[in-house]
Amino acid sequence: MRKKRIKLGPINGNSPDDRKQYDLTAALRILRHAGREDPQLYTNDSEKQIQNVIDALCDLSVHDGMTGLVNATFFHVVLAREIERSLRTGKTCGLMVLDIDYFKKINDTYGHTVGDRVIQSVAANIMQNLRSMDTTARIGGEEFAVILPECTPEDAIHAATRIHTALNPLLINIDGHDLRVTSSVGLVWTELSHSLSSGALLSEADREMYRAKHSGRARLCHPPLESTMITQQERSSLMALLNEENTHGK
Amino acid sequence: MASDKKARRIAVISGKGGVGKTVITANLASALASSGQRVLVLDADLGLANLDIILGLDPKRTIQDIFQGNCRPDDALIKTAKGFDLLPAGSGLQENTVLSKNLAEKMEALLSDLEERYDIILFDAGAGVGEVVLFFAALAHRILVVVTPEPTSLMDAYASIKVLKQLYKRNEFLLVVNQANPKHPDQIGTSVTKHLQSVISKFVDVGTSPPVFLQLIGSLPQDPAIPRSVRNRQLLSETQPPAASVCFVNTMAECLRRTMI
Ligand SMILES: Nc1ncnc2c1ncn2[C@@H]1O[C@H](COP(=O)(O)OP(=O)(O)OP(=O)(O)O)[C@@H](O)[C@H]1O
Ligand SMILES: [Mg+2]
Repeated sequence: MRKKRIKLGPINGNSPDDRKQYDLTAALRILRHAGREDPQLYTNDSEKQIQNVIDALCDLSVHDGMTGLVNATFFHVVLAREIERSLRTGKTCGLMVLDIDYFKKINDTYGHTVGDRVIQSVAANIMQNLRSMDTTARIGGEEFAVILPECTPEDAIHAATRIHTALNPLLINIDGHDLRVTSSVGLVWTELSHSLSSGALLSEADREMYRAKHSGRARLCHPPLESTMITQQERSSLMALLNEENTHGK
Repeated sequence: MASDKKARRIAVISGKGGVGKTVITANLASALASSGQRVLVLDADLGLANLDIILGLDPKRTIQDIFQGNCRPDDALIKTAKGFDLLPAGSGLQENTVLSKNLAEKMEALLSDLEERYDIILFDAGAGVGEVVLFFAALAHRILVVVTPEPTSLMDAYASIKVLKQLYKRNEFLLVVNQANPKHPDQIGTSVTKHLQSVISKFVDVGTSPPVFLQLIGSLPQDPAIPRSVRNRQLLSETQPPAASVCFVNTMAECLRRTMI
């Protein structure tokens, strides 16, 4: 079913050219409203002009206006693609979810302007601590997600630790005094043995993040690392040593 | 030793708590100092500091005071009568069991401030492999694991080594075997090390290189003089009559000093 066109300007004719001109005007108006009306959009070459506008619209549709990070919609597109790639290449992909602690309280106490600044600072700080191939998204009011492609679980823990350490606490100067902001972080990674949808992987990451909240906030939680778990075999090998020790020790 | 050299940092860890990290750190520091080394001991057990208690000190200023800007490093630094310096930590601050940007940056700044004045800096880390312990282990040039020939201690030491290898790619560990049977402590030390090494080679080293290498720097026998010295807030070298285990600490210090060159 076709959606009804939103009327953004008068249509003076019905020829394809009129329609094109109408779309262009509408698009430019959207960009202007979004504060993305760059003088560089305009050129005398009409094909080039249309391409510029399409590029600008694409850019607008995948980004979050406040932080410049990827938005929630596009985040799912990237995550689904990375999960698929991870299965193909056999390289695990990490997913980190970060939620600012007591954000409602910050907003209520200091107002939305300060709240927005907090969100922007957190976003900037995450960006500073990432590799170029990682994708950071704002997926909720005060919730962020970072996709860490081609990361072993150990690498993902390193990356998440770096971000977590950089953000806890984050000091934001408000009228000459420092507001101390902390964040709770959950981290998961894809399992090559069983594939999850992007939604399911995100719920797992959320679950780890809530575990961080419940264990006192400002923490990083992740599932146990298989490579550091102690198996029954290791346990019994170590115990065998003790039995020997005791026989000739005591 | 040339003064432009930076101190070698050694983190003393154990996995399991109460196996003798603090006692060994303090006694080792004093033995190293007697052999002419400039030694600083940093109480890295930020949540449950107790080096000062063992040394019979009552510090007015702690690392936390330095970090909060209440004093300069030199105001908190204690020149102990045992020949080494101590940076005490405050106790009971739950906040310090969580690694923060503040803590990490300030600790690194503090160390770079002090490292030119010492040959060796010992971190007496807390139990477990929490983020603060891992942070100090990562900061250290050498990691010294204290282990006792007892199931939980052995298991926790093994788990700590495994985490440090898998997460931090550390593959060299110094080992002290504490509370060994006093009849033949050195033998126990050697066989514990050998066996621990073989379990690591079998399970931890698979598919990774380079392999983990454990180096035993000494054993310490089970010795009633040790709890007594702790109660009296003395080092082993100060006890009367002289504790038999003093020579084990000296051997350990000598071995450690040689591995540091
Ligand atoms: N070789 C030994 N023989 C007898 N007792 C010992 C020996 N080594 C340590 N102890 C006793 O064990 C107790 C705990 O030692 P210590 O405080 O050094 O352990 P720790 O590993 O630092 O503990 P924590 O993990 O709580 O910091 C000491 O009070 C001491 O009396
Ligand atoms: Mg201790």
